[in-house]
Amino acid sequence: MAKIELINVSKRFGKTTALKNVTLEIQDKEFFVLFGPAGAGKTTILNNIAGIQIPEEGMVRIGDEVVNQVDPADRNVAMVFENYALYPHMTVYDNIASPLRSPRYKKFKDNKAQNEAYIKEAVHKVAAMMKIDKLLERLPSQLSNGQRQRVALGRALVREPNVFLMDEPLAHLDAKLRNAMRSELKEMQTAFGTTSIYVTHDFMEAMSLANRIAVINLGEIIQVGTSDEIYYMPRNEFVAQLMGDPEINLLECTLVREDGSSLCWAECPEQLIPMPKHEELEERTEGMEQIHVGLRPQNVHYHFEKVPGAFTGNVYSFETIGNKSVLTVQVGDQHLRVIAPNGLPVKLDQEIFVTMEIDRAIFFDAGTTEYIGRFDEAAVKELVAEQAKEA
Amino acid sequence: MANLTIKNLFKRYDNVGKKTKTVNDYAVNDLCLTCNDGEFVALLGPSGCGKTTTLRMIAGLEEITKGDIYIGETRINDLHPKDRHIGLAFEDYAMYPPLTVYDNIAFNLRAKGVAKGEIDGRVRDIAKLMHCEELLDMMPVKLSGGQKQRVNIARAIVRRPEILLMDEPLSHLDGKMRQSMRVEIKRLHIEINCTSVYVTHDQLEAMSLADRIAIMDLGVLQQFGTPMEVYDDPVNEFVAAFIGEPPMNILETTVIKDENDFFFTFAESELRILVPARYYSKVRDGFRVKMGVRPMDLYVGGPESKGNPERVAVFENLGDERRIGVRVGEHMMMLITNDETRYRHGDIIRLEVNGEKTHLFDLETGDRIRSDR
Repeated sequence: MAKIELINVSKRFGKTTALKNVTLEIQDKEFFVLFGPAGAGKTTILNNIAGIQIPEEGMVRIGDEVVNQVDPADRNVAMVFENYALYPHMTVYDNIASPLRSPRYKKFKDNKAQNEAYIKEAVHKVAAMMKIDKLLERLPSQLSNGQRQRVALGRALVREPNVFLMDEPLAHLDAKLRNAMRSELKEMQTAFGTTSIYVTHDFMEAMSLANRIAVINLGEIIQVGTSDEIYYMPRNEFVAQLMGDPEINLLECTLVREDGSSLCWAECPEQLIPMPKHEELEERTEGMEQIHVGLRPQNVHYHFEKVPGAFTGNVYSFETIGNKSVLTVQVGDQHLRVIAPNGLPVKLDQEIFVTMEIDRAIFFDAGTTEYIGRFDEAAVKELVAEQAKEA
Repeated sequence: MANLTIKNLFKRYDNVGKKTKTVNDYAVNDLCLTCNDGEFVALLGPSGCGKTTTLRMIAGLEEITKGDIYIGETRINDLHPKDRHIGLAFEDYAMYPPLTVYDNIAFNLRAKGVAKGEIDGRVRDIAKLMHCEELLDMMPVKLSGGQKQRVNIARAIVRRPEILLMDEPLSHLDGKMRQSMRVEIKRLHIEINCTSVYVTHDQLEAMSLADRIAIMDLGVLQQFGTPMEVYDDPVNEFVAAFIGEPPMNILETTVIKDENDFFFTFAESELRILVPARYYSKVRDGFRVKMGVRPMDLYVGGPESKGNPERVAVFENLGDERRIGVRVGEHMMMLITNDETRYRHGDIIRLEVNGEKTHLFDLETGDRIRSDR
């Protein structure tokens, strides 16, 4: 059990900088997710913690100890791999016991009986925690995939590592299995009680599993926060676009301040979008003219008849994505993604109308793409605070 | 443009070292399929199900063991691939690296001896259609994955094929690009209206693109229907489990009779679900069967609910939606909630089931057991 710290860590491979001044503080017992697109530097961070790579600059700390110079084997970190890599000829019991039997970890080096007694206790404890105590006599081939994952995790946990590192453990599973494994992992997570760092590029995994998420891009930390914080108050447009599927809609707008404020959307300048009164947001946008308005697909609504305030567009595409569908509506040159029920009777290019829940919108600076605010920020902050307290 | 008809198609690879011939020796086993003129058909299934083999037989890249393939009225079994009037777009783009995008697209037309002026017109038309006009002077190495796939498809359709065949064209692209290319392919299909066969292992791609989906497993066609048909009315457990995200909850259950009602019961769980009356003629006390219900057909009951009290094992807040996992014996039963309530591990919820949306599957064969009405 330990707190992990990275302080101004930089890592270069030849001329490319993989990590730029990364500073992270991961709390004891926290389930921490490193999230970002391919090539962001997520795995490099993990490797630096494990000691597989050593940073050129900065410090890596596990507990109170700076570990830059510590051999990977002495860092007491456990890694879980994508394929569970269980020994096929060993029972579940022996698989879990295997790290404790390795010469490096033998507690009682000369007393085999004492050692086995200790192992027995440790294996049973972990097996109970992972709910595999009834499977100890089975071989891996007699287990379901979920059970195998539990055994692999149990094996990693049995020697009580300081930190548990997982690099995209679900990435190569098919969709059905990935869903199932994710919820299994989520259920077990409370049982871990071990500081865990989990790398993924899948936003659903990040949202679902994390106590906190660090969003990474091009070797830099963009934002650290709880899932609600990152989803509702993304630091910039890049983060907003990563969180959510289908992707958030971003509208280029001009602020109009006559007779109360409203928005003028570039695709449809003759029709203003009135905004609710919000002093703080007005303050933050003072002097700004251009603004980007982020609207999640579930906050845009379609209508077959022209309702007040609706924009006129055409159906660009209609896609079923399982339990719901995505309707893409073209207004001017922009494609708006809208959530719709399955089997909606629409024809391509037919006329359709959309309205926007502007009070659910996220405002971004048109120049820097940084977060400005949202109308329901107070309510969202309450949610975030509650989630942070739980974590 | 033409129909594509596949009649009793078989493919067997002569496996070295295999002595016995079983049903499973066939990579494609007695496949019958008709794609109507202008239709977009997806061949969907896990790896090894025979979908790519089928596509390759249509293209003429693979020998046919038995059976016939017709394009329009013409039997094409013995036609040379180049005479089949087929456009191909594969997962790997295989462009000619020393040629510009323009020359890559024009290549096949030149090979066929189309007049120079006409080539130029057709290349530019296709480039416009595929939104890759600005790429025409670039070399393939300079293109992103999405751009390469655009060019790849442009090259396949410039010859005005009667059938367009695509094999996992989006699987190399990242999530975002895949999403936008999917929309583009769908648009393109509507604009050129070319009979298309699209191979994928991704049910979401098949659902969103296809007019009809042919779901295959182990070389055998399982079901052929519109996306909503295969989603709402699967013929067996395989199709039910393969289509839909998150997947359908499918659990083994024992039916018990309690007074005049039947209930689904589950091993190592208190959960009891009322069997809908429409199944009463199919079940009896002690009947063992698999029950399937989609996560969106389960919901959390209000304070008045008489649903089973269940403990929340997992609560996933995914931003766009929220999912609850409930332990039913060995299984994790998932449901989707659209309200904003945050549940916690250990909370008790009243689990309600939309009985009309439950499916039954035979324990042995996995075949759907249908109700009388």
